Amino acid sequence: MKKYTLKKPADGLHIVHPQRFQIDYKNELNKAQYETVTSVNGPHLIIAGAGTGKTRTIVYRVAYLVELGVKPEHILMLTFTRKAAQEMLRRASILLDHRCERVSGGTFHSFANSILRKYSNLIGYERNFTILDQGDAEDVMSLIRTRLKLDTRERRFPRKETLYGLYSRSVNTMTSLNQMLSIDYPHYLEDEPDIRKVHELYTEYKITHNTMDYDDLLLNFNKLLKQNEPVRAESSNHFKYIMVDEYQDTNKLQAEMIKLLAFKHQNIMVVGDDSQAIYAFRGATIRNILDFPEEFPSCKTIKLEENYRSTQAILNVANEILKRAID
Amino acid sequence: MSARHKYLKTLFTNKSEGNLPQLIIAENENLQSKFVVQKILELREEGIPLEEISVLFRSSFLSFDLEIELAKSNIPFRKFGGFKFIETAHVKDMIAYLRVLENPRDVVAWNRILLIIDGVGPRSAEKIIEDILHRRADKANFWKDYNRYPQSVRELFELLKSISTDKLPPAEKASRIITYYHPMMKKKFDDHTKRKKDLEMFEQIAERYKDVGSFLTDLVLEPPNESIADIEPVGSDDEYLTLSTIHSAKGLEWHSVFIVYALDGRFPTMYAANNVEELEEERRLMYVACTRAKEYLFITYPINIYDRESGTILTKPSRFLEGLNEKLLEPWVVDEEG
Ligand SMILES: Nc1ncnc2c1ncn2[C@@H]1O[C@H](COP(=O)(O)OP(=O)(O)OP(=O)(O)O)[C@@H](O)[C@H]1O
Ligand SMILES: [Mg+2]
Repeated sequence: MKKYTLKKPADGLHIVHPQRFQIDYKNELNKAQYETVTSVNGPHLIIAGAGTGKTRTIVYRVAYLVELGVKPEHILMLTFTRKAAQEMLRRASILLDHRCERVSGGTFHSFANSILRKYSNLIGYERNFTILDQGDAEDVMSLIRTRLKLDTRERRFPRKETLYGLYSRSVNTMTSLNQMLSIDYPHYLEDEPDIRKVHELYTEYKITHNTMDYDDLLLNFNKLLKQNEPVRAESSNHFKYIMVDEYQDTNKLQAEMIKLLAFKHQNIMVVGDDSQAIYAFRGATIRNILDFPEEFPSCKTIKLEENYRSTQAILNVANEILKRAID
Repeated sequence: MSARHKYLKTLFTNKSEGNLPQLIIAENENLQSKFVVQKILELREEGIPLEEISVLFRSSFLSFDLEIELAKSNIPFRKFGGFKFIETAHVKDMIAYLRVLENPRDVVAWNRILLIIDGVGPRSAEKIIEDILHRRADKANFWKDYNRYPQSVRELFELLKSISTDKLPPAEKASRIITYYHPMMKKKFDDHTKRKKDLEMFEQIAERYKDVGSFLTDLVLEPPNESIADIEPVGSDDEYLTLSTIHSAKGLEWHSVFIVYALDGRFPTMYAANNVEELEEERRLMYVACTRAKEYLFITYPINIYDRESGTILTKPSRFLEGLNEKLLEPWVVDEEG
């Protein structure tokens, strides 16, 4: 007869005995990757250099959660493009099985869009709202500029591209118009009241004409969740495990989104590499990844160190390029 | 964004040391392209499939010359990043027709499709839009007595009416719009034959959708990256080489990677050179580019490139690479023989 004794639990949450898993996680991952995959609850920051298996680790974690019994629909995987999300879910499906295809995955914008279609009436929109891309948004700016007769004045008024650029950046970096003008366009500072007027009318236009621009998708998502406790609770209860790849290239609105979504459970894992931040020009901020431990105080940080992609000769050049960075 | 905020890490691997990455000077742009083409053919001889090779660049226009050389050598490629299919004027026109169907209050879209019509200027467009907003804002009243409009505008309304039913699949709607739009496009663009292909592709993409709403949303949020003109599959097999901006290459990897135009003034761009933060972002971009390679990394730059904006000749390698130890990055010059 078997004898049962008690022993101290190991780190992490190992409810299920490893032998019951289809995938041999321990064998296919290194130690830090394995720790990442098997860390289930709570906030996690995975910070690691290029080619150290960040994306691969998320793929395994999807499979792991599904093997643990988490419903695929309850997992949300946010990535930079839909293509990337699809590829990751495809790989997870090959690793495990087709259940992984039911995981919710996509970009922040497409995710926000899908939720907003469901609750559009709560924020004053109809379900069939259309989305303005950058060019359309600029056209609207131009329309308003003409309507206000700002284009016929003698002194130069900002072009439609500039007007939209200012608007979008102030929204997604949460910076005031005044501040941005002072830094980038001091010569337009005296036009601030008129620019503000254009921006106000632009905001109004979008609501009366049932349209949203890119930033609105994120902005309205946050507004929806902030203003409606039931929707916030429902969303957070639904998306029980959230993962974000390439977190270094997210903006402030996106950081706010995941905070709202995770408020019930804090089960949020973000993965990224601050040395690969390349979208600051579009409002992304490296602060999101640097401040994550403060935003989520119980956060556990894991580093992946070994590169599996490149030869050492290639890595030497890459290291050297970074080493010479200006302080 | 200073270094002390960063999580410090030096990359290491247990993989083999491997071949030294190369920094290759070409006397001019075309020589750079010819070198890259030749090297790609050599790699393929070695048994490396095109799928495992990519050419990366800082800005989309930097690959134009290479694209011509690749086509000459019958190397199929796909290009990612840069100017998107949906940003072209004729595709934006297509989208505008569908947008007013979906959301009759979408004024910019109305404006766009009204202005395409011969004889409709900004002022008459505005009047018509006013009328639409006030009398036709809801779908029930939409088709009431539009006969008061000028003949050309009536034709537009007739088209829209005929495709407004939800029963028609999006691809059929697109197809009818194309038929209506084609004569106008012929007048509007000299290169309308090439653009026609894009419209066919547009219709083809529409095939995947059941309703116009989700088709539109996807077009804006997940735009197809390449125009038909970018996918010149000369060979019949599906194998293709990847050309990509570095921004669109993030997260990906290839056996062999070329970084072209690693020329100071192009990468980093002239513009970024004046601002420390932008310059550091360009540096990280170079880091991203290099770390896409698994086995071979070739960094090339042409010299004697005239920069119109500054009025200077660009001759130096990217400042992120200049002065790098030759034991790390081997310098070479392309030599033309025969
Ligand atoms: N433990 C491992 N064993 C074998 N191969 C691995 C392991 N971890 C990662 N790899 C391989 O290393 C390569 C890089 O992995 P991955 O793309 O996940 O890295 P990454 O950190 O996401 O890179 P990037 O920063 O460029 O996004 C892939 O080919 C992956 O399959
Ligand atoms: Mg990755």
